[in-house]
Amino acid sequence: MKKKLRMNPILRKELMVGSRSIKMSFAIMGINAFLAFIVLIVMVTTNLSSTYGGYDYSALSYLFPVLGCIECGLISLIVPIITSGSISGERERQTLDIMLTTPVSPFSIALGKLQSAMMVVMMYMITSVPVMAIAFVLGGMSWGALFGLFAMLLSIGIYVGSVGVFCSSVVKKSVLATILTIVIGLSIIFVTFTILTAGISMKAYQDEIMKAQQFQLGAIPMIMFLNPYSGFVDFLIRTMSSYDLYTLIEEAGDVDLPAVYGVIYKAWIPISVVVNLLVSVGFLKLASLKIAATRNKKRK
Amino acid sequence: MLQIQNLTKRYGKFLALNDLNLHIEKGEIFGFVGPNGAGKTTTMRIVCGLLKATSGTVYVDGVNALTHPDDIKRKVGYVPDFFGVYDNLKVMEYMEFYGSMYGMEKQDVDEIAEGLLELVNLSDKKDVFVDTLSRGMKQRLCVARALIHNPDLLVLDEPNSGLDPRARFEMKEVLKNLGAMGKTIIISSHILPELAEMCTSIGIMERGKLIVSGRVEEIMNRTHGSQPLHIRAFTPDYEDAEEGRQYLSTLLKEQPKVSKVTFTEEEALVSFGGDDMEAAELLKRLVEKNILVSNYYREKEDLESLFLEITGGVQG
Repeated sequence: MKKKLRMNPILRKELMVGSRSIKMSFAIMGINAFLAFIVLIVMVTTNLSSTYGGYDYSALSYLFPVLGCIECGLISLIVPIITSGSISGERERQTLDIMLTTPVSPFSIALGKLQSAMMVVMMYMITSVPVMAIAFVLGGMSWGALFGLFAMLLSIGIYVGSVGVFCSSVVKKSVLATILTIVIGLSIIFVTFTILTAGISMKAYQDEIMKAQQFQLGAIPMIMFLNPYSGFVDFLIRTMSSYDLYTLIEEAGDVDLPAVYGVIYKAWIPISVVVNLLVSVGFLKLASLKIAATRNKKRK
Repeated sequence: MLQIQNLTKRYGKFLALNDLNLHIEKGEIFGFVGPNGAGKTTTMRIVCGLLKATSGTVYVDGVNALTHPDDIKRKVGYVPDFFGVYDNLKVMEYMEFYGSMYGMEKQDVDEIAEGLLELVNLSDKKDVFVDTLSRGMKQRLCVARALIHNPDLLVLDEPNSGLDPRARFEMKEVLKNLGAMGKTIIISSHILPELAEMCTSIGIMERGKLIVSGRVEEIMNRTHGSQPLHIRAFTPDYEDAEEGRQYLSTLLKEQPKVSKVTFTEEEALVSFGGDDMEAAELLKRLVEKNILVSNYYREKEDLESLFLEITGGVQG
């Protein structure tokens, strides 16, 4: 018998409730207004700086990484706010107990919460297409680049969102969960970047000053796969130049990365997306364990 | 329907449930009574799969609730003591949401929900936002929600708490209807007279232990002997009322199983340890002694006084 594909009931409920909230519409309108304002500023300054008095449309292609980074920053702020109240909000509303008496598994609850946050992100990305279109219509960017950007942003959203759902399952208050999500996110960025820079510096120091070449960078750059933003950075570098993150790391440290890792580093974007998704599944699993662990606790 | 054996629950050093044993038959309305912290909610949450037991077994309709909590979820409907609702969801959507949580098709949910909303007297509110309902209505909606998957066992934790008298009456009617439909219901409440009216059997818990359990009448009868006999009698052989009262008192005290006789203005209160048959024989002897009896009954014990008596006055 054919099994019917069902929409996660939590996702369906969240979409229904979310669509009735005026807050969502205002937030999306505000974000798009902000993006439009940035575009306006860039267009005005580009026009003024044009040498021959005409309009330098090619300069508008730089809107793409600028808007991409702004969108990335906004998603990194919005998603934790949405997801960090997901489980703790159910607890605060005293609806989690009832939910746990139904056959829906804690993992499905966590997944549904993440999915609903991703729907908001997608809605936000779709509504920002007209503003983003200025960069590729006038600036000469391709549709592929735009959808690639959206895919990268979605993968970041999923990563950050799963951290948010996890924090929401750990912390009782939504505000604390938001702060914890941002702290964990920043820690991941800081730790991975610090390990990479430390490795590159050590390698450069040994190669250039000690002339010893004892230290091999090896797999150290791979730590950046855990960084949710590394794939996004590589994507922007590749889209806007003939470089990639791999060669930039080599140049930054003035080092030759081992060729054996070259293939992996060249496929940075898909690997990064897969790692983002795997890490997200891990955080969701932890969140579901935490939700299920409610069953061992005494009610206050 | 529900069989609990040697159920124990510890929170660290605190013993919430101490070797609890309970058996509830199909179709029974079982009332859980006990002071706060007695372990009623803990028991209910374990039965619903919301809490893990430290040891013991819980069977719902033959399924072990502790080893198969997911199977139990389809057999049990739970109404917690405190619960919230979602803003921006209408009554029917609320029912649809929980129906979908049980994997039910929208069409089936709608059909069942219509019937349940009628049962809980909320048919006219199905297009109203849930957060605009009164507390009593929300409580009834929560009962309807708990029945959406047609569970065998309905567990209600303090469903009447915080409700005004009218809402309590309406809730009582809903539960009576459910009882008439043959649903097995476990209900905990502090409003004891209402439990006595609704329940077919009760269990009194204290400090994690079930002190008494059984059919309401059986439990009442168990402590029956402690209830005094009220006798309004006249002694035509004595013109002086005081003398007549004296005679009656002496006569009563001579009877077997009579331990104490006191008088109010109109009647004698007799502490009598015998059963109903022995009480009838006592009446016969009084009549034989030419005492005219106009009123003769044993004071009925209500659930509240029984509860206070058993728990030593520690009321929740």
